[in-house]
Amino acid sequence: MKKLITVTALMLSALCSISASAAEGDVGVAATMDDRYCTTCHGADGVGNLAIEAPRLAGMEGWYLKRQLENFRAGIRGTHAEDIPGLEMQPMAEKLSNESITDLVDWIGGWEYVPAAVTVEGNDRQGRTAFQSCAACHGANAEGNEALGAPALAGQNDWYLITQIENFRSGVRGSHQDDTFGAQMVTMSKTLRDEQAILNVVSYINTLQK
Amino acid sequence: MTTPVTRREFLNLLGAYGGTSAVLQAGAALGFMPNTSQAADISLMANNGKKVAILGTGISALTTAWELTKAGYDCTLLEASHRPGGRMFTVRSGTVIDEIGNYQRCEWDNDPHLYFNAGAARIPSIHSSVLKYCKELEVELQVFVNESKTAWVQDDAMNGGKPIRNTDYSSSMNGFISEMLTKSLGKGQLDSDLTESESETLLGMLRSFGDLNEDMLYKGSVRAGYGSGGFLDHGTKRDVVALRDLLKTRLAGSVMVTTQEGTGSGPLLMQPVGGMDRIIYAFANRLGDRIKFRAPVTEVMVKDDGVEVAYEQDGETQLLKADYCFNCIPSHLMSGIPNNFPDEYTEAMNYIRRGRAYKAAFQAKERFWEKENIYGGITWVNAPSAQIWYPPHNIHGKKGIVLSAYNFGGANYTEMSQEDRIEDFLSAGEKVHPNYREMCEKPITIAWHRMNHMLGCAPRWARSRGGWSEKEEHMYETLRAPVNGRHYMIGDQATQHSAWMESAIQSAHYALADLDQRVRTEPA
Repeated sequence: MKKLITVTALMLSALCSISASAAEGDVGVAATMDDRYCTTCHGADGVGNLAIEAPRLAGMEGWYLKRQLENFRAGIRGTHAEDIPGLEMQPMAEKLSNESITDLVDWIGGWEYVPAAVTVEGNDRQGRTAFQSCAACHGANAEGNEALGAPALAGQNDWYLITQIENFRSGVRGSHQDDTFGAQMVTMSKTLRDEQAILNVVSYINTLQK
Repeated sequence: MTTPVTRREFLNLLGAYGGTSAVLQAGAALGFMPNTSQAADISLMANNGKKVAILGTGISALTTAWELTKAGYDCTLLEASHRPGGRMFTVRSGTVIDEIGNYQRCEWDNDPHLYFNAGAARIPSIHSSVLKYCKELEVELQVFVNESKTAWVQDDAMNGGKPIRNTDYSSSMNGFISEMLTKSLGKGQLDSDLTESESETLLGMLRSFGDLNEDMLYKGSVRAGYGSGGFLDHGTKRDVVALRDLLKTRLAGSVMVTTQEGTGSGPLLMQPVGGMDRIIYAFANRLGDRIKFRAPVTEVMVKDDGVEVAYEQDGETQLLKADYCFNCIPSHLMSGIPNNFPDEYTEAMNYIRRGRAYKAAFQAKERFWEKENIYGGITWVNAPSAQIWYPPHNIHGKKGIVLSAYNFGGANYTEMSQEDRIEDFLSAGEKVHPNYREMCEKPITIAWHRMNHMLGCAPRWARSRGGWSEKEEHMYETLRAPVNGRHYMIGDQATQHSAWMESAIQSAHYALADLDQRVRTEPA
């Protein structure tokens, strides 16, 4: 009997309802949409999303975030044919105004920093040795150094660090003539001999906390 | 006219695709003809107000909510977007297309006939669960014309780039295939295992199928369209397009199989009057304020006695505590939402790849296709835009919405600017219809890979064209089993035949049956 009553109530509410086309307006389409789209790809609170290959934004320095958004917007990053996730990001950034970038950097700056989960395992002791050349710019604890334009690495998704080092090494990232900092990384990444060396250095970075 | 392919060439080709033995053996499988497809009878045990959190408002979520609400469960649906329906999305006057980096607002004339199904668009007659809900929720359906023989096939490589009618293509192809197979009969190559009577039947069918002449040769057919006359005067045949010319396009695979029913396509399908989202709103209006819009989920924690879901609304984080959770958030987005799912489950979620389908449409100033004897169906073009669909409804009306691109598999539109997408389909379409560009008003495009809160079209499990690997089968079973008996993954991602509403609904039914079983065996 209870079920019957429920169904009747539902049917009554259906009779009082609005048509599909009206309903669309009713659920509230914003008159203007802002550019705060980041979490769709980069995860709730910008925690990063492996399935999309979108890195963690929470905890990323505002100055670095700004530079990367500007690089994407200008096509300095995300235009290489083999940089598939970069090619997805680039059109997202292309339409951002300076005001939007400021808004996004402020918004993302408010997200809580939590170190990313460890997903890879290499020889962190060997990685520590290799990391010494990274530390010159990125800091001994991979905490980043704004004066040198080097972002923090600690706490970033390890799978993303690996992809980016590989991209620098192959020139998929950092080859654009206006990518000054990227060009430095293209050179530096070549000090890592092979995949194992990259894995080791990222495993070492995993042991560091911001 | 070029030389036809020799019989030997053709038989070699046949051999490459499995030879005649495969064809003959198929006869033994006729006993496996499927029974009539029936929608599942959902009769959940009446409940008790148990709380259920439903994440997303795709058709699987709405089905779940509808059935559970009828049974007395207390459902809350959380939708990240401003609209319900996921990939069941109809665009009409005023619709916002929330593609990231390519915001559009549709400005077509405000007319009930002028709509475009940007996602799901066709209902096959064997999709019984979809049809069951259309009937139950009084969603009016009409016929959708999936194939029109007067629509066109165009490829720069074929016929000097000039389009030919679908019927010209398919009648000639049927004729040539029949002629070649006929020549092979009686030579012991194709018919060694057939009785004389079977051979005669086959021969008769081939002659009729290909419209062969008395010498069992294909010399054209009025099925390809009359060259002249046909009513007051005797109809004359059109010139035969040579087989070799037909083979210059790779579109045959599309042109020749559209009518094959079974997996979902077919010459005659259905659509709701006024747009596919009539189904979505039929559910959503009945569920009322159980649905919370602009409420993105930020955390899912499965507990011993239920599921806790955090979500944001109006800038505040809210916590929803439920006994059970049904989740149709695309797995690739769920991967970015903190959760405590088992590693195996997460691995399966991360494994599924995102489909890259895209579509485009425009408002046509006039129904120009009707002047070309086209009243529905699909034109095939060899371009990224791939297809042109003509609206089968509102025949002889003033305007109509033309689907000007639909393709999947490759990136294409996903990586093109709005301007480039529009130029792509206009330049392809004007090779078919000279006035295409002039007829186009207010074009819109949808790249599902970049749609906000979606970022992908139909999920893709199998990495190999050969089918599902054992590992994939295992991951699939992992993902559709509930976590701790509390959290169910639903949607076409939890099926082995993605992209169809029917699959999504059946995933909901599958999960509901499991839930019902658990509830029934709970101690009172």
